[in-house]
Amino acid sequence: MLTVEQNEELTRVGPGTPMGELLRRYWYPIAFEQDFDEGRPSKTVRLLGENWTLYKTPSGRYGIIGESCPHRRASLTYGVVRDDGISCGYHGWKYDFDGQCIDQPAENDNTAFRDKIKAKAGVAQTMGGMVWVYVGPQPVPELPRFDVYVQDGIRDIGVATLPCNWFQIMENSVDPHHVEWLHGAYFEFLGQVEGFEAPKSFQKKHIKVSFDEFEFGIIKRRVLEGHTEENDDWAIGHPLMFPYGMRVGGMWIDQMQIRVPIDDTTTWKLFYSLHHPEGGTWEKQDRPVVYDYEWIDENGEFITDYVEGQDVMAWVSQGTITDRSQEHLGRSDQGVAMLRKMFKEAMAAVEDGEDPPGVVREKHDIIELPCEKDKFGAGTAFTDQWINGGSMRYSPIREQLLALHRDAAVVREKAGSGA
Amino acid sequence: MPDLEQQARRAAHHGPWPDLPPDPHRLPPPGDWFASDAALHLLDKPKFCPHCGVSLDRGLISEWWSGEDRIFLTWCAECRWTGNVVLFSRAVIEEPEH
Repeated sequence: MLTVEQNEELTRVGPGTPMGELLRRYWYPIAFEQDFDEGRPSKTVRLLGENWTLYKTPSGRYGIIGESCPHRRASLTYGVVRDDGISCGYHGWKYDFDGQCIDQPAENDNTAFRDKIKAKAGVAQTMGGMVWVYVGPQPVPELPRFDVYVQDGIRDIGVATLPCNWFQIMENSVDPHHVEWLHGAYFEFLGQVEGFEAPKSFQKKHIKVSFDEFEFGIIKRRVLEGHTEENDDWAIGHPLMFPYGMRVGGMWIDQMQIRVPIDDTTTWKLFYSLHHPEGGTWEKQDRPVVYDYEWIDENGEFITDYVEGQDVMAWVSQGTITDRSQEHLGRSDQGVAMLRKMFKEAMAAVEDGEDPPGVVREKHDIIELPCEKDKFGAGTAFTDQWINGGSMRYSPIREQLLALHRDAAVVREKAGSGA
Repeated sequence: MPDLEQQARRAAHHGPWPDLPPDPHRLPPPGDWFASDAALHLLDKPKFCPHCGVSLDRGLISEWWSGEDRIFLTWCAECRWTGNVVLFSRAVIEEPEH
């Protein structure tokens, strides 16, 4: 339970708020490269409660600038994109990549005027098929090259825009017990009611959980019934990625769950999956396959017969911004309390002029993250259960992915048996 | 004119509405089911850091429950102390196997 004010502080992401200032220290994916393949080379994106124009120049460079033209506030998304920046479609005021006004066609004799006009602007670059942006203060940190975005493999990305605050999704990532209930017992109940077989690997009871802070967030560990501390779920665990992600995986499906805070009540939720099974072969993929996963049916009911649909039900049904002044946390929610404390510490660090956790300043090729491989002790069955029982069931390459993992398992088995 | 506090007393799920000292903090609407718990939280949460004694207004207090105990995970923005402050009604000692 928190006070009303503490809840607001943790959930307001707009400019000038403590959380908004913290969140503006990080890079965010905000679009896909294929969004710019056809049609207009600019689009409106919303991030941290502000509207931006994201554009791609003819030579392939990306830029991001506040959507409203500083002149008369028209949308720059309907502007003219050139290699040196973007011009407003209304009167032609032109801005470079830093937001500096460099041309005012009707004011040509007055350079002092344009020199004082600077639009809000960020920086943009691509990685892993997505366009990433940074809209915070200088100096711009390095874009962290986390393993799933840069390793070789087959990628697919499930996307949905959810009507809830990003923080309640983050709290779910430090709540291991929900797995055995929401994805275990509830899934089993639903299977009995609706006549399907729920996956068994999520039903194991938690014996012990732990949370360790590390440089990129919190590593979550669990010992399940019948398991020991030798199992990957405890020995390795997987990390909550501060401040808006979670890295999960198992049996060579490695996934980043991304929760982009669009504004206080909207989150762009992505499941970015990398499939690279040992023993498997695949052709080099040009770009990730992007698909929508469904979470609400034609009657407005939550779709809860798959893992991520169940999660979405929990996040969204808590309310657009859940009222933490009326919650009742228990012993098993200590990870949630710890996460809130971590965010407060990070806000204080920003106030003190320090970098918060996970801001990367050093150049690097790849950042490898700890993540269990043998998930829930389910072995190779886990890949089928995850692809068929998770958001990937909506992936247009689902059959291809199932075949990739099954064939690779056969190759590994043969190699293991010496055949 | 309805007496909001009277309504709150009737609606409160977890007990009577406590008398609150003057406080600048806001509360959920008094008629909300768990508003009395929110009021008790405001009344009982630690006000000063157990370590450095500074006000916890800039810190974070997250309340959770264990049995009858009310536990306040407390973080101080001044000295960065973190710990649990426990409100308990009786001391229980779990004896290990011996």
